[in-house]
Amino acid sequence: MTVLPLIGSLGYAGLTALALAMKRHHEAMLGAKPDERRLRVFRVLGWALLVLMMAGCLYRWPTALGLSMTLGMVTLAGLPLVFLLPYRPRLAVPLAVGLPVLACVGLFV
Amino acid sequence: MKGGLRQSMAWLHTWSGLLLGWLLVAIFITGTSAYFRDEISFWMAPELHQSVASEATPELAWATLGATAPDARAWDIILPHDRSPVAELRWQPDTPEAAEGGGRRRGERVEMDAGSGEILEPRASRGGDFLYRFHFELYGVPRIWARWLVCVATMMMLVAIVSGVITHKKIFKDFFTFRPGKGQRSWLDAHNATAVLALPFHFMITYSGLLIFMVMLMPWGMNAAYEEGWRGFFNDVFPRQEAAATGGTPAAMVDAIQPLVNQAEATFGQPAQRISVSWPNRDNARIEISTGKEPAITDRRRGGNPALVFDGGGNLLDTKPGLYDDGASARIYNLLVNLHLARFADPATRWLFFLFGVVGSAMAVTGMLLWVSKRTQQLRGREPGFNLRLVNGLNMAAITGLMTAMAGYFIANRLLPADLAGRESWEIRVFFLTWLATLLHALVRPHRRGWMEQLAALALLWLAVPLVNLATTHSHLFSAIAWRHGALASFDLVCLVIAAGAGYALWRLAGHRPVRKPARAARAARALPEGETAS
Repeated sequence: MTVLPLIGSLGYAGLTALALAMKRHHEAMLGAKPDERRLRVFRVLGWALLVLMMAGCLYRWPTALGLSMTLGMVTLAGLPLVFLLPYRPRLAVPLAVGLPVLACVGLFV
Repeated sequence: MKGGLRQSMAWLHTWSGLLLGWLLVAIFITGTSAYFRDEISFWMAPELHQSVASEATPELAWATLGATAPDARAWDIILPHDRSPVAELRWQPDTPEAAEGGGRRRGERVEMDAGSGEILEPRASRGGDFLYRFHFELYGVPRIWARWLVCVATMMMLVAIVSGVITHKKIFKDFFTFRPGKGQRSWLDAHNATAVLALPFHFMITYSGLLIFMVMLMPWGMNAAYEEGWRGFFNDVFPRQEAAATGGTPAAMVDAIQPLVNQAEATFGQPAQRISVSWPNRDNARIEISTGKEPAITDRRRGGNPALVFDGGGNLLDTKPGLYDDGASARIYNLLVNLHLARFADPATRWLFFLFGVVGSAMAVTGMLLWVSKRTQQLRGREPGFNLRLVNGLNMAAITGLMTAMAGYFIANRLLPADLAGRESWEIRVFFLTWLATLLHALVRPHRRGWMEQLAALALLWLAVPLVNLATTHSHLFSAIAWRHGALASFDLVCLVIAAGAGYALWRLAGHRPVRKPARAARAARALPEGETAS
């Protein structure tokens, strides 16, 4: 199977974690007021996931194209999140966990 | 301009965006379609759909050219590849006019069924090339003027990107923010989201768009360094090999080309792509068989493929490994230009670029709609003046009108009779007549009902494309799926997706009441059943 779904879902999960590192979105998605420490944890997690996504892009494409596509995949992964946040904020986090898992399963099917 | 930097940048962004926005929307939408230029051209030539590449293709092409144009100056066989299953045969007749052009003039060209060797006669159509060309040189305007106009628009786009970033107050805080159902606010959020999230793409596509025309835009360096101007520069940077100026005496060539093709494929470990022959059937004939290569995004746009060169008798003369060591600046230029054109993109990557193009178009479109929405809101219920109505109408023609015209172009491709004189021009005329009709309609009805009517037309025409295809060809959506032909099936599916999108927009617009200040409660009540949260 192709690694594209994994790359896309990692990007989405990373951006969701970064949104969780912002007070306003954290409350909307998880319904709880976060403390500073949790926000920091999500910020680190978010960037870590994006780095992982970049590794995926470098695996999928040659270096120069892979670096370019990293930026592009952030775009494509971010748009669904932007539209989920106002309409279905509670769905954003389960998807961020579920989609990468599904994509991993997809790799071996 | 008064006020701070941000105000002046907002002013610049608003007006540079508005004045060239209509052109930019058209450039973005046709440019997005151009990522599938070959696939669109293929869809628009149903006579080619039955062709399937086979082992025998090179031999069939060789025999066909030998019978059709034995005494040409040059032959060119483009073997089937993953974006086109037909073999393309080109030859250059040995006429005085061709000799004058140094053999670079366009010669004859036919498509051959790659399985049967039959010469196919597709309906005359400009196919995806029309949309691709429109993207950077419009139509019916002198080419150089059009290119300058497009470059000015592109330059303004670059200005709009920079001024937009400066104007944006909370670029990181609002990174994920979209607040629907709030009129102007929502359009601003949507414009920000599509602009900021895709900022790397917007910058790349704009800057590389200018780079492609750098020779036209900034010729001074080349003119100063080379007496013959850019031609000299290009001959130095991209040296081309000149064929012998005259043909020798008649001499037989190899009967079978397949052994030479096999040799080239074995040498480079890549499938053969192209067989070029200069002075076929003469004693100075040269047969060059080039293969694919490992795609590298920093390679030059064309050429540079590994190739074997044989004489007419099939004796190996030269092995071209096809490697270049371009300098760093050339590689960066290559990278940007290749990204712009999505060269070397496999099908999945091509789809991603198509989606980036859709996001770019959405960014331009939401910007245009924001302009009108903001000024409509400022009216507080008063009747809009002439200027606002004009901009609203032009927006409609630029957005829904262009999309409707594209559907008209595809439908015309299926419905115009195959033997119509100047058929390919008629397809283009249908495109522009449809567009003109939407423009007139938009100027007469520049309001919500007008938008609804255009969205309805848009949805119906795009829905009609696969239906007309079903009625007029054998390679419609169902057979394309049965044949597992991705490109053909995707074309019809994308039509359905566009029709569905327009239908959804129409449905939302029909349910929309203009937002007035006291209407908060009503809005909240309406938001609930849709599961919106007022945040």
